[in-house]
Parts: sequence; C-alpha cells; structure tokens
Amino acid sequence: MTSVRRFILRLLNACRPGRAEPDLDRELKSHVGLLEDDFQRRGLSPEDARLAAKRAFGGVEHTKDRHRDARSFVWVDDIRHDVAYAVRAARRSPGFALVGVAIMALGIGANTAVFSVVNAILLNPLPYPNPERIVTLTTSVAGLETGPIRGQIADADFEDWRAQARSFDAMAYFFARATAVVVGDQAEYARVGRVSGAFFRVFGVQPSAGRWFDPEEIRPRPSAAVAIVTPAFAQRHFGGTVEAIGQTIRLANRSCVIVGVTPADFAFPEGTEIWAPLALPAVVRPPERGGLNFRAVGRLRAGFSLNQAQSEMAAIAKRLEQHYPDTNMGRRVLVTRLHDEIVGDVRLMLYVLLATVALVLLIACTNLATLLLARATARTQEMSIRAALGASRGRIVRQMLVEGLVQGCCSGVVGLALAFGGMKTLVALIPGNVPRLNEVAIDERVLLFTAIISVIASLLLALAPAFQAASVQLERGLRHGGTRSVGGRRTARAREGLVVVQVSLSVVLLAAGGLLIRSFIALQRVPLGFQPERVLAADATVATPDPRQPATLFFRDLLAGISNVPGVVAAGATMAAPGRVDSTGAYWIDHVPQASEMRTGALNVNSVVAPGTFTALGIPLVRGRDFDDRDVRDAPMTAIVNETLARRALPGQDIIGHKIVCAFDTIEPMTVVGVVGDVRQSGPADESRPECYMPYLQHFYNGATLSVVIRTATDPMSLAETVRRKARELAPNVPVKFTTLNALTGQNVAEPRFRALLIGAFAAIALVLAVIGVFGVMAYAVSQRTPEIGVRIALGATPSQILRLLFGRAIAMIGIGLAVGFAGAALTTRLLGSLLFAVKLTDPVTYVGVAALLATTSFVALYLPASRATRVDPLIALRQE
Amino acid sequence: MISYVHLTTERIAAKLPFEKTTWMASGSKDRVELLQGTLDLIVLRALHTMGAQHAYALAARLEQVAEPSLRLNQGTLYPALVRLEQKGWIKGTWQRTESNREAKYYAITKAGVRGLEKQTERWRRLAGLVDKLLLNEG
Repeated sequence: MTSVRRFILRLLNACRPGRAEPDLDRELKSHVGLLEDDFQRRGLSPEDARLAAKRAFGGVEHTKDRHRDARSFVWVDDIRHDVAYAVRAARRSPGFALVGVAIMALGIGANTAVFSVVNAILLNPLPYPNPERIVTLTTSVAGLETGPIRGQIADADFEDWRAQARSFDAMAYFFARATAVVVGDQAEYARVGRVSGAFFRVFGVQPSAGRWFDPEEIRPRPSAAVAIVTPAFAQRHFGGTVEAIGQTIRLANRSCVIVGVTPADFAFPEGTEIWAPLALPAVVRPPERGGLNFRAVGRLRAGFSLNQAQSEMAAIAKRLEQHYPDTNMGRRVLVTRLHDEIVGDVRLMLYVLLATVALVLLIACTNLATLLLARATARTQEMSIRAALGASRGRIVRQMLVEGLVQGCCSGVVGLALAFGGMKTLVALIPGNVPRLNEVAIDERVLLFTAIISVIASLLLALAPAFQAASVQLERGLRHGGTRSVGGRRTARAREGLVVVQVSLSVVLLAAGGLLIRSFIALQRVPLGFQPERVLAADATVATPDPRQPATLFFRDLLAGISNVPGVVAAGATMAAPGRVDSTGAYWIDHVPQASEMRTGALNVNSVVAPGTFTALGIPLVRGRDFDDRDVRDAPMTAIVNETLARRALPGQDIIGHKIVCAFDTIEPMTVVGVVGDVRQSGPADESRPECYMPYLQHFYNGATLSVVIRTATDPMSLAETVRRKARELAPNVPVKFTTLNALTGQNVAEPRFRALLIGAFAAIALVLAVIGVFGVMAYAVSQRTPEIGVRIALGATPSQILRLLFGRAIAMIGIGLAVGFAGAALTTRLLGSLLFAVKLTDPVTYVGVAALLATTSFVALYLPASRATRVDPLIALRQE
Repeated sequence: MISYVHLTTERIAAKLPFEKTTWMASGSKDRVELLQGTLDLIVLRALHTMGAQHAYALAARLEQVAEPSLRLNQGTLYPALVRLEQKGWIKGTWQRTESNREAKYYAITKAGVRGLEKQTERWRRLAGLVDKLLLNEG
C-alpha cells in the first residue's frame, strides 16, 4: 500500500517537475539559516558563520538533485527534457519538421487505411459464435471449377450427407437471388435467401426479434408461408424490428408473414435481406441429384477438426459415386472454412496492397533519413558542444532517437486523421463484390498497428542520424564550425546508400504498378463481342411464372410499348446479360440423352432472350435468323447458338436445322435457327464459352426474370423514367431496376481497375519521393563542393566538365538503384502472377518504361542543382571558405 | 540449514521497503557506511522518540548520537525525508522555531508508527540473523 502510494506520488512529481522545488528551496534556506545561527552562537562572525554553515551543509545543488531522484523518476524527467529539446529543435526549422511530419503522416495514414480494410476482411473473425467451426461444403466437378455454378451442390446429395455425416452439429443448404418483393403497394428488388431447416442453427445466432423458422414451416408442404428479414429491412418498411413481426410481405406472389428479424451483423449470404424456407409451396419437387443448384454450410461438431470432416465427406462422396455413377462420377466434396470461402481471391489483392503501402512508408522513411542525415551533419557542432559539456554518447544517441519518436508520434496522430479519410475513400473505391466492407472501421487493433508502425518508422528514421551523432569526433566538429561536411566520406556513403534504397524500392513498385496497368489496358482492349455503349438495362421480375396469367406477357407488352419511343434504337430482353451468366448445363446435338447420359454432354451457357436482343446488344447475327413472332408457346421449340458452340458441336458443318437438347428447364429438342457471334460472358478475362439462347415465350419460368436491354441514341439513363412509367402502367407490382450495360461490364473489370489505380498511384508517390531523394543528395553535394567548384572554375574548368564531375557518382548511384530494383521486381512481382492478364511478368514494355521514367525524372532532379553549380561565381564561393 | 537461513535473510532484505542509500561519514578514512534503508529507520525512530523536528535538528541529533564515528553531510537527510513523506509515514508542516525562523517540522504519522514497529522488528531479525551467520562462520 505504502509503496503504491509512493509510486503514484513519484509519477505525479515526474509529470510536474519543479512543483516541489520552491518548497525545497525554502526548507534548505531555513536549514542553512539555522546552521548559521548555531555557528554565530558559538562565536563566529556573521560572515564566517555563513561560510561555515555552507561547508557543514554540503552542496545545495547536489542535495536538490538527490531529493529529485528520490521524489520522482529521473528518467521520465530526462525524456521530458529530450522531448522539449526535440520540440525546440523542430521549432527552429519548422519547415523541415512540417515536411517530415507530412511525408511520414501520409505513409502512416496509407498503411493504417489499408490495414483497417485488411483487419475487417481478413483478420476479424466472422460475427458468429465459434466462427472457426462454420464451414462451407462445395462439390468440385471436372469442368466446373470456374463459372457461375462453381462449388454448387445437388440437394439430393445434401440429404445423403446430412444422413451420413457425423462431424457436424448442423448442416443446411440454400440459394439466394435478387427477386421482387412487394410490401404494401410498393414493389422492390431484394436479395432473398431460400434456406433449409438448420440454416440459422449453423451460425449459432439468436434473432434480434421474433424467432427462427419452425420445423412445420420448413417442410415441403408448410403450414404457413413465413419469412425472416434484416433489422434494416424491418426499419425501412415497418419502422422497427419488433413492429415488423407479424407483418406480411409478398414473395413470388405469395404472402409471407414475418416471424423473425436477424441480428444486425448477420449477413449471409452477403447482401441478403430476406430469408424464406427453401421449399417453395408452389414448386414442390423431389430432390434432384443431377443439377447443382444450391450451396451448403455446416457447423463442425466440437472436437472435430476440418481435416476429420474433410475425410469423412470424402468417404461419403465415394459411396455416392458408387451408388449413383450416372450423376456423381468424379464429384468431390470440399470442406472449407466459411471465412476462407468468403474472403477468397480478395486475400491476395489485399496483401499486395498492404505490401505496397508498406514499401511506400519504407521509402518515405528512407527519404526522411537522408534529409535528417544531411541535417545531422549540419548539427555536428551542436552535438560536439553537447559532448564537450559532458553528454555521454548514449545520451546523444537517445536524444536523436527521441527526436525521431517525437516526429513519429506527431506523424502517427496526423496519419490516423488521414487514415479516416483514406479508409472511406478506399472503401468507396474497392469493387462492390469484396465482402465485409461495411465492417471496415478503426478499432483497437488498427490503433495498435498505427502505434507500432509509427514507432518502427521513427526508429528507422532516427537510426542513421543517431549512428552519425554517436561517431562525432569532438575536436573535429568544433574546429570545423559545423557547417561543412564533417561526417566525411562515411556519411556521404550512407546518404548515397539510402538513395539507392529509395530508387530500388520505387522501381519495384513502379514495375508492379506498370504490370497491373498494362494488364488492365489489355483487358480493356479485348473485343467483348457486343457493344456496351449506350445500352440501358432494366431488370424486372414478374411475380408469377404461370403462363396463364397475363403478367407473364409483361415483357412482350413492355417491349412493344417502348419500341416506338423516340431515342430507342433497338430493344430486347435477356436472362443473362453479359457479365451476369447464372446458368450452365450440358448439351447434346440431335440426341435426347438417357438419364445415365446426363453427365456426358459438353457444357454450355444457357440464356433466355426476347426477339431483338442481339440487335440491342450489338451481337452480330452470323447465319440464320433472330427469334420473332413464330417462337412462342406451343410453337416448335427453337434455339440460337453462338459460334463457339456451332464450331465445337459440329465442326465443319452448318448447325442450322439440327436439333439441340440443353440440360436447362426441359430436355425437349430445339431446332437451331440461327448462329450469333461470341461474347465474353464473364468479362474480358474469360474466354467465350459455348452458349445457347432460347426464346423467352417458350421458357416461362426462366423468362420471368429478365433484363430489358435498350440501345439508345443518346444517354441511356435519360430513358429510364419513360420505361419505368410504361412498366408501371402494365404491372404496378413489378419492380424495375435500372443500370447501363457499360456499368455492368465495368463491374467485370472493377477489381483490375482498382488494383491498377491504387498500386499505380502508390508507385507514383514512391517515384516522387525517390526523385526528391536524388535531388536532395545532389543539392547537398553541390552545396558542399561549392568552394571546390569555385576553384575549378577559377582554374578554367568548363560547365560540362563540372557537370561530368558531379554526375559521375550520381549516375552510378541511380544505375545501382535500377539494377537492384529490377532484381527485386523480378523476385516480388511473381506474387502478382494470378492478378495479371495477357501480360508476362517479364513484360519488356513495362521494364523499359520504368527504366526510362526513372532515368528521365532522376536526370531532371540531378540537373537542376548541378546546373546551378556551373554558374558558381568563384569569388563568392571562395569567400565562403 | 545454512541455505535455509540464507534464503530467509534474502527474503527479509527484500521485504525491507527502503531504497538503496549509503550514508557515509564525510572526510573520514574510518568511515561507516549505513546499510541500505537504515537511514529511513533511524530518522523514523528519532522522530518517534523526539516528537516533531525540523531537518536541521534531526541532523544535529543524529550527529550527536553517532559522534564521532559518523560526521554527516546534512543534505543527505533530504532524500530520506521525502521518501518517508511520500509513503505517508511522516508529515511535514511549516512552523516557527524558538529563534523565530521558519522551518519545516516533520512529525511521525500513525501509519509511520506502525511502519516503524514493523521495520524495527524486521531489522532486529535481520541483524540477529547476520550476527548468527557471522558467529557460525567465525
């Protein structure tokens, strides 16, 4: 207790040094006075008594020191002094200090902002109890590793898994898609998840209001249609979570009662607002083993590892393969942690980004260290004087480190402020398909990260000047008056070394940025097979897929209604606008497959379109005809295929007139009536796949959700209101959502664009910093050598001789930096591998470009100060000496 | 047996709440060094027996008691005083002396009395142990 009390008091005294001094002064004065009185009483004269008292007492200052040691913590006091000294030093050259803080704050801010994103997406656990036990179950089938149905599962398989697997507490399967939701008389699009019974049990969360589904409600023929919504949806439509319970919304033309509201941070699958039981009352069908239409999640039983679950599932998949060879041959099951599955490819991109900003910070620190080193040389005199006055070497080094830390802490604080803005910008720039963006925030971990990098950066910064200060030789420093290069060759070497580091690091970043930009340009240049400019896309879902209801003819009537609107060049409607493929299946030519053959067909993309779609999208009709009034319900089934399918299916023959069967919604043969050009269905990076288009009036179920595509003469969005009005006249309950084809295709290259933009920008910053470093070293060399240059000019040296003299080392420096940088780039850009498109890692254009860019900018940076040196007036230069 | 004693000694020494202080007789070859912490104990004890005192009186008293083996540098009292005050064992107040000079008078507090008892007890045990050890070794 007493020691705690003393510790606190000492700490308080350390924070308010000098507070106790007046009292101590008074006490010591009284003490000496009393001594004097005594001596006088013993017969000394007042003068002698004063001297005797002083002698008897001992050193007053020494006593004060000992008192200070005892009452507070001396090291705190020392550091306070160092800090005060550092602040004074900064005040003396405020410009220098401000530039330093600004550069470092930018570096720290960029790192903090990127780390806050990495933290939210990669490091923070998912907001569910024991999130590490939540896994996804996916199937892998040869040929389906990519594309829209990658990893999807068959519901019949799932039922077998659930019956046989022992590693799971709960398993569920589901699918999610944007559909029309009617609340009151308002219709809107929302992402609806259709989930099986144990879905919410897998996540282990409790509803924020109401309850989860009852087993009764989730059966194939449920007692009542029910739904669960997010708090945001509940708030928006009903004014609160509790208020939403018992309210009714319409999904797929059926009223559903809201029975529960999810917790605020529950978001699975990403973006879902409404969850409903999987078994659609309207569409009760037996589980299906051939089609992969669902996704699955599970919660590992406590004590079961991912590996155990994986091997159990592998065994089950093997059994299913033996039981159902027709469908399950070659089908594997993969168990993946949900977090890993959600993060997916984003991980690599984020790490590349983090590495980039770390490099930028490193360059900034090196840059500042060069500046500080130059200044430390100028401060040699100051250091020598301090050393002469008794400051130990350790004390001087500590002083330099404290100066670095003061700067680092200021930069950290400013950087944090910048990071708030940077984080928002980053989140706005990051492509929308990156998960968990709404969780990005500055939390304790981010703050700790900022603190740590601030300290590391400070130390990096202070190290070189500290070493230099420690090696100051007293008499030399004093003799030279401190304004000239006392540090000598070693310091000059150190400075040049730091510039080499900056140049090589920026070469690495420039190379990475260059490769990504080249890759993005290559992506942009890929012919897509359609013309995305000036096309309005209006997504609409007709609530019932029942052909007997007039609502299914909504699209036909809408297309008829807008065909003569001024500004409309062509109009159509498609199930899978380019970039939005969501169905693939097998096809057969002139052959109706048996059940045992379902696995054997080659894969194609399925799409349902209205007449006029190809014209509207700018896809050329190569042979045959487009769909028209003949391709309606009850008419002979028809289809149009793309060139890739035509070429692969019947090489060297004309496919028109042949019959095609697609594993889509029916296996009735369709007569091919036309061949159209290929489009890149999943963005420019993916090759065109075989595609089969079917007329929308012959495929009611899949024709109920289409994007109306309208090619316009002017700005496509200007037609949106007209289309909305026409749609509302036809069917008030059909929500329509507008976008442009340009925006849709832009989403396909959003990630490459983001990478190229950001890393390119950081590379540019790195280049600027490196060039400033080159400039600084040259300017410094010139200022140091001015007298020498003066002598040379006086002796008749020409400007070009002076330039050559100055350039020699500098060019060597840049050459070494380039060489090291290229070596580093060759080693590190390999990490970009999978992020690049159509650009080799050794892309000569990039490397030559980087070298040329660096050489020209460095040359300018060298030339500016050097050319000043050639104009030195020898008289003035020599007078400086 | 020895090692047990040794351990005990260490433990007691570690429990002594005093700082490292060495109080030297100034200018004497035959100097006596005070063991760490003993000055605090001596000051506490002096204040306990004599009542409130200012630093000069304390120093004079200690000189008087220790004479002639211990000539004090009077300033060395101050760290001990501030340590004890921070622990709450003594309290200083400004008062007037008989000669009408102002001086800070230190008085032992209740906590100080308790501390003195405890420390005296510990000191005795420590001293006894050291004595015993020295005798055994001798």
